Amino acid sequence: MGKSRFQYRKNFWLNASFLVLTGLSLVVALVLAHRLTVKYIENEFNNRKIDVLEETLKPYNDFFQNRVPEISFYQGYLDSASAVKYADTILRKFAFVHRLIFYNTEISNHPIKNTYRFYNLSITPRAIYQFGRRLSPDSIVLFENSAGSTGRVREMDEFNRMAAKFSGYISSADTTRFPVSADYIGTFYNVTHNRVTFMNIPREEDLHTFKDLMFRDLRPSPVFEQDIVSFLLNPARLQVRNNHKELYQQISIKPIVYESMDTDPGLLSIDLPLSGAFADYKLYFTSSQAYLEKEIYRRFIPVALIILLIYGTLILLAYLIYRNLNINSRMFKLQYDFINNLTHEFKTPVSVIKIAGNNIRSATRLSDAERSHYGKILDEEADKLNDLMNKLLSFTQIENQSIRIKKEKINLDQLIRNLKDAYQIKYPDFSIEYSIEGIEWFYSDPVLLTSIFRNLMDNAYKYSLPGRKSVSIRVFTEKGRLVMSFKDQGIGIPKSETENVFKKFYRIQNQYNQQGSVGLGLAFCKELINFMNGQIMLKSKVGVGSEFIVILPIS
Amino acid sequence: MIIKFKTYFLIVILFLLASCSQEKRAELIPAGDFFRNPRKTGFQVSPDGNYISFLQPYKNRMNIFVQKINGNDAVRVSDESPFNISVYFWANNNEIVYMKDSGKGKDPDLFAVQKDGRNLRHLLSERNVRLKFISQNRVPYNELLIAINKRDSTIFDAYRLNISNGKLRIAERNPGNILQWISDEAGKLKLAMASDGVNETLLFRPNENELFRPVITSNFKNKITFVAFNKARPHCIYALSNQNRDKMALVEIDCISGKELRTIFGHDSVDVAEAGYSRLHQRLLYAGFETWKSKRHYLHDSAKKVYNRLESLLPDTEIRITGKDSAEQKFIVRTFTDRSPGAFFLYNRMSDKLTKLSDINPSLPVDQMCSMRPVSFKSKGGFLINGYLTLPRGYKPEGLPVVVIPHGGPSSRNSWGFNSEVQFLANRGYAVLQINFRGSKGYGKEFWIAGFKKWGSDIQEDITAGVKWLIREGIADKDRIAIYGTGFGGYSALYGMCFHPELYRCGASQSGFVNLFTYIKAVPPYFKPMLQMYYEMVGNPEREIDYFRSVSPVFHTDKIRAPVLVSQYIKDPRVNVNETNQFVKELKSRKIPITYLLNKDNIEQASPAGQVAFYQELEVFLNNNLKK
Repeated sequence: MGKSRFQYRKNFWLNASFLVLTGLSLVVALVLAHRLTVKYIENEFNNRKIDVLEETLKPYNDFFQNRVPEISFYQGYLDSASAVKYADTILRKFAFVHRLIFYNTEISNHPIKNTYRFYNLSITPRAIYQFGRRLSPDSIVLFENSAGSTGRVREMDEFNRMAAKFSGYISSADTTRFPVSADYIGTFYNVTHNRVTFMNIPREEDLHTFKDLMFRDLRPSPVFEQDIVSFLLNPARLQVRNNHKELYQQISIKPIVYESMDTDPGLLSIDLPLSGAFADYKLYFTSSQAYLEKEIYRRFIPVALIILLIYGTLILLAYLIYRNLNINSRMFKLQYDFINNLTHEFKTPVSVIKIAGNNIRSATRLSDAERSHYGKILDEEADKLNDLMNKLLSFTQIENQSIRIKKEKINLDQLIRNLKDAYQIKYPDFSIEYSIEGIEWFYSDPVLLTSIFRNLMDNAYKYSLPGRKSVSIRVFTEKGRLVMSFKDQGIGIPKSETENVFKKFYRIQNQYNQQGSVGLGLAFCKELINFMNGQIMLKSKVGVGSEFIVILPIS
Repeated sequence: MIIKFKTYFLIVILFLLASCSQEKRAELIPAGDFFRNPRKTGFQVSPDGNYISFLQPYKNRMNIFVQKINGNDAVRVSDESPFNISVYFWANNNEIVYMKDSGKGKDPDLFAVQKDGRNLRHLLSERNVRLKFISQNRVPYNELLIAINKRDSTIFDAYRLNISNGKLRIAERNPGNILQWISDEAGKLKLAMASDGVNETLLFRPNENELFRPVITSNFKNKITFVAFNKARPHCIYALSNQNRDKMALVEIDCISGKELRTIFGHDSVDVAEAGYSRLHQRLLYAGFETWKSKRHYLHDSAKKVYNRLESLLPDTEIRITGKDSAEQKFIVRTFTDRSPGAFFLYNRMSDKLTKLSDINPSLPVDQMCSMRPVSFKSKGGFLINGYLTLPRGYKPEGLPVVVIPHGGPSSRNSWGFNSEVQFLANRGYAVLQINFRGSKGYGKEFWIAGFKKWGSDIQEDITAGVKWLIREGIADKDRIAIYGTGFGGYSALYGMCFHPELYRCGASQSGFVNLFTYIKAVPPYFKPMLQMYYEMVGNPEREIDYFRSVSPVFHTDKIRAPVLVSQYIKDPRVNVNETNQFVKELKSRKIPITYLLNKDNIEQASPAGQVAFYQELEVFLNNNLKK
């Protein structure tokens, strides 16, 4: 039972519930995002109409705030000729102005005909002109105030309204206080249905003079010139600027009382009254449900993609954590096996030594043959233990990079011959062949190099069936590198395992591998070779044999 | 103790080093110091020469003080607090007449007071009239000659006002066309200037029982300015005239034949600007004219002697005699230079003693002020244009930031002398260029008329030529030039910003005319004659509407690209605040950096504090645009 504490704990339900919850929250997030987008679009549909209104009225505002008061700059000096020029610029620039009526006005205290008179002040149209697009020349002059002029004067209503406003202002004007712009809007502008009328704002001194003329009985005064211009506007020519095409399918200008008779429930509509001279009209916005639906999806899809991306990343991270845990558990298992093997490995020589020791102790007398037999056993087993410990130790050193390469000039032929001799004494049934081509001396650490040879030769011996224990070593140079090939006729390694054999503590599970190895040899070799900047490769066929190829750099 | 002393010593040394390193460059003087009003001003000597009077603030308003000629015990004789005293004079040895300034030029209040402050009398108090003095300092039989528009607001009748009892009696009714009345030494109305608007007629009568007869009629372009009657021939007058000549000259005119008898003095290149006259001896003393600076041509040895003596007593200084007693022995002398606002002195001819009375502005150190030098350059059409250049102290005269200041008017001129505004800007490190462009007065009739209807054309060409000349000379840094002016100068600045954006880095206008229509409209239609004159000088807004439109900055805001400073009085007859507002609004909407200063003061009562505040804003504006 205690064993399971060190086992990797797999919990299928944990994984499953994680996935389910994640999936659920994803769905909830998407649904919420969609709902919010719909709400947002509804709000936009209701609110963005202000932008459209602003954009649509921009030319009108420019006209009203800049071009109309420009008349004031002329200080009453406009006459028919200069008024034409002014009118031209207005008509050219503002399509919604369709006609201008220009009242060349005189202010005096003279009692004249065709005049607006308030106390002693006469406000008289000397002439009235109209300007428009494609007006016939003879219809420009509407009225000229000469001695003989009689009859109905056209467009006089507006003049009278302005004159009344103006004289009212003069009569009540507080001359001690400086007038503010707000007073001007009320006095010098007359904004009515489709019409803006403006009178040039006289200088303050003139206002005082007019007041004097109005209430005091003075000599006939000089004539003061004023200009009144009335602009007739056509709302139909006001260009609707739909700067939110995505929201509003159609925008039109309708009378303020207009109600749609359309009963299609899929048609959304909203309106916003225009201002100023167009106050009797409204902007009427319509969009079909399907049109808005398109916009909703246009806005929802990027949001949905972002949500999916976030969840994708989340899942990926979870997977990576899961994978790492898996690998770690496998590592743990390998180490556990290794310790098992190692214990076993140590156990065999130790028990042999123990038996030998017991035998020696319990024997009353030892013959020479017995003594030498036991001595040999003890010596061999002690060597085995020593070898085992050396391997472990140097392996750890290499892994920690704590050993240094001590390079020496090595005679390869001599090195291999010595090894061959030693092996043949140890394993008389091991046949070793070798050949060296194109290289005699090699700079390297002799201990490390010997270690590689030993490991690979041990391997060739260990994993070959009796009678086929042989190794053929070939040493040659290729592209400035030293190549060493160790070819045996052993049991071979399956293709699926060729990668794994170099892993630490890895042992192929098969019937030949019951004893002797801890799975360190090849891993150790690979570490050594990597440490020497070389590489190791394996070609193998099960039942035929294996070839390990070691490549080391020469310089 | 020793350590303390050492630190002080070190500080002193450091201070000396610091001051040495920029020894030549001027210290920054506070703006307020430049625009300080003189404490004592308006010095006059009593007719008997025993007393001196002057104006000095009392309760923040100008009041009259009187002191013995060689004493310090000044006595305040007036007690006016709501308004300044604008005009005062000695009516006789004992009494002073003064007028309160209500700030509007109308509602005159006239008072008489004894020199010791006793017996204050209200002589005249009329509402809604304007008052012109026909002759000051001359009060025969206690009667003062004045002209007021009491009967009809458009015409001025001549009256005699008794200063002992305040009785007003009419001296001469104005038939309607008389603009100016002139009396002789005895207070007889013998001359009048009539005008039908375009033409001016000099009228003369040998005595008050006869009718006025026309002497000379001249167009407004010609000017005849009365100087004095000829003692020997009472029907002859001395006058400054440019009739039948280009430059004003001092001449003698026979008022019966209407003929010009002789030219007493004329100058080749400039107008004769003034004539010195001795009332004691009833003779001409000198003719004054202004080339690059004012000079005198002496017509009598006595004058030459007095001026030469004063010049040797006050070397390297400009001298003006601004007051004298009736024996012409004691003189009030006013001095100035380009670098000093100067002082008032009392000169006693008998004892040859010169006493300083008061400095005009002692807060300005003369050694920190900059000198003004005359310059000239050729403009379009080969016209030689004169001007003045003031360079900042301690700077090499190359690559300097420049402020061009076109003068107002345009019918006035810049003169050599102390100019607070110029000195203020030069003290801030700017070279200041002033230009007497075409249309300026003083260089003759032709030069003046050359500026008629040339707003936005030849006048502006001359200003541009001046700036280009300064760039060619290497004095100006062509990327750091500002244009600034007041009235017409402000118009020129705005015009420059509209039509020469390549030349100016920024521009400032103080009460600049933004709209010529409004400017011309400020001439009341009552003064039809004056209107005609303006039509000829500036243009006719009815017939030349396109010209008016093309040169009025208010129609061309779209052309302005550089930062602008606009200062405007809320009530200004020549500039409508609404138009300036509109002008500013349009620039703002085009995101042009604009500083707008709206002054709520009455334009006639502009306070020095308001002016200083304006100059401080101007300093910041120029600093931001020319020095960064």
